[in-house]
Amino acid sequence: MDVLQAGVGEFSVTDPDELRAFMRTEKQREMVNKVMPEAEAVRRYVKDGDYVSFDFSSFTRGPASLIREIIRQRRTHLWFAAKFTLMETTLLAAGGCLRGVDVGFLGLGRLISKFVEEGRIKVTEWTNGTLALRHLAGAMGVPFLPTRSLLATDTLTYSGAKVVQDPFAGKPIALVPAVNPDVGLVHVQQCDIYGNARCFGPGVSPLETAMASKRTIISTEEIIPIDDIRKAPSKTTIPYYLVDAVVHAPYGCLPGGTQGLYEMDAAHFLEFMSASRDEQAMAAYLDKYIYSVASHEEFLEKRIGPARLLALKRQAVIKEGYQ
Amino acid sequence: MNGTAFTEAEFMICQCARLIRDGALVFIGYGMPQIAAILAQRLHAPGMVQVYEFGAVGALPETPFVRFTMGGPRNCYRSVAWTSMNTIFAQAQLGLIDMGVLGATQIDRFGNINSTIVGRDYHRPEKRFPGSGGANEVLSQCWQTVVIVKHERRRFVEKVDFVTSPGFLDGTPGARERAGLPKDTGPWRVATSKALYGFDDRTRQMILLGVLQGLSVDDTLKEMGFTPLIASTLEELAPPTAEELRILREEIDPDRAIIGGAGD
Repeated sequence: MDVLQAGVGEFSVTDPDELRAFMRTEKQREMVNKVMPEAEAVRRYVKDGDYVSFDFSSFTRGPASLIREIIRQRRTHLWFAAKFTLMETTLLAAGGCLRGVDVGFLGLGRLISKFVEEGRIKVTEWTNGTLALRHLAGAMGVPFLPTRSLLATDTLTYSGAKVVQDPFAGKPIALVPAVNPDVGLVHVQQCDIYGNARCFGPGVSPLETAMASKRTIISTEEIIPIDDIRKAPSKTTIPYYLVDAVVHAPYGCLPGGTQGLYEMDAAHFLEFMSASRDEQAMAAYLDKYIYSVASHEEFLEKRIGPARLLALKRQAVIKEGYQ
Repeated sequence: MNGTAFTEAEFMICQCARLIRDGALVFIGYGMPQIAAILAQRLHAPGMVQVYEFGAVGALPETPFVRFTMGGPRNCYRSVAWTSMNTIFAQAQLGLIDMGVLGATQIDRFGNINSTIVGRDYHRPEKRFPGSGGANEVLSQCWQTVVIVKHERRRFVEKVDFVTSPGFLDGTPGARERAGLPKDTGPWRVATSKALYGFDDRTRQMILLGVLQGLSVDDTLKEMGFTPLIASTLEELAPPTAEELRILREEIDPDRAIIGGAGD
């Protein structure tokens, strides 16, 4: 199969047999209690230099508390998949945690753009759809998948995709390489202690992310009995053996919202946007919301407060479809 | 508001909404396209089906419109299905999605769109923007794509600094198909704050189809970095109707965060 065009963007390749060997030996088959504090989950499973992926977004059902913990533990040289990122990459970059980003959609605010313009954060271009497709390839254990997107664009030139001639029908087609993140972070509404997890509402690719990732950390609003899982198995989004750690994190998406439970905190986003205009303001933001508090629990207690939590909970009046 | 009774954003949104066909499956981009879609849904296109990149299909968004989040419960209210990103882009690739609606940082003569960088050096851009998001998929896969963009010289450029999402490429016949893109797809209309454009069937160049009532052709051309073709019969584009403005101002965006004109 002749390669007609090859993108120049940086990415890493996973050997599918090495991946299978990892899945064979490292993913626990027994149902064991995986509940642990966020600090332990991040200490165990997020290493300097890791490739990290998450689902869904800063605004909706995103793993914000886990990302704050990664920053609090001052991981460095991380590469993030931004199927889309809104505040995550700004926080991580300002915290000195980030080496590069697979874009997707690179938000939010002026500061992250400045980091890229100054060459302090590397970027490989993809699209939301092709990043999700790379996770699907990773989740299937195949080295790549074809797509009719990306073709004939500079996005492709600065991606890691290749264009080949379809060996069956002959038309040019783009191939995107699988991605197998070192760590996947997924925030969910409900999960049992073993890691059987339920996402309600739309998401980007929670199952693909959990399957493709070598390690998956679930943060959950609620821990439910396995009996509830067994009574309604079609509600299970991610089965337990894909999951390495379960972190109980009520309001874990804040300042984003979790569907059916609490709305996003729009005032906080305005504060974040204002802080993302320059590095000093963002340093103060990081200090206030991350470094000066020891945990997500303390973040909620000291920085958000019960009145605000209650107000956001009351705003979440739409429950249909989220239980 | 320059003495007129509506803002530029309001006109763009109304124009864009008028282009959305009732009964079509329509891929809706982030921001202004969302507002246009809600407006269309509440006026002439109650049967149009909104499709979002994270997989929600057929939402009837609650208003007032919530800024920032697209995947939140108010915007995804009363959907017929919540699928996933891979599922929904597969459906676009399959040929099921009739229209796409997108914003753009820059657009060129052949409808190529840039939402990645401004500047000549990719590695040291003058300005970095969010990048493709799902726009590349939408413009590659949907049958017809409407681009909604403010009418500014810096946005209408002879050649975009970076082709994020493919228009008619270099304009040569069959350029998209030769590259492997789905046949008979591409940009269809460009709705701006002053004018409406299409693309010439033969040359694939942007062609001026209509001008907002009260403006001249020159008023639109002087705000462009290239001269488009001009249709032999130009449509006079009606300003927003009272009903369009009522829905925008009272139902969708009472804070005027997106439609503008607060305090006027």
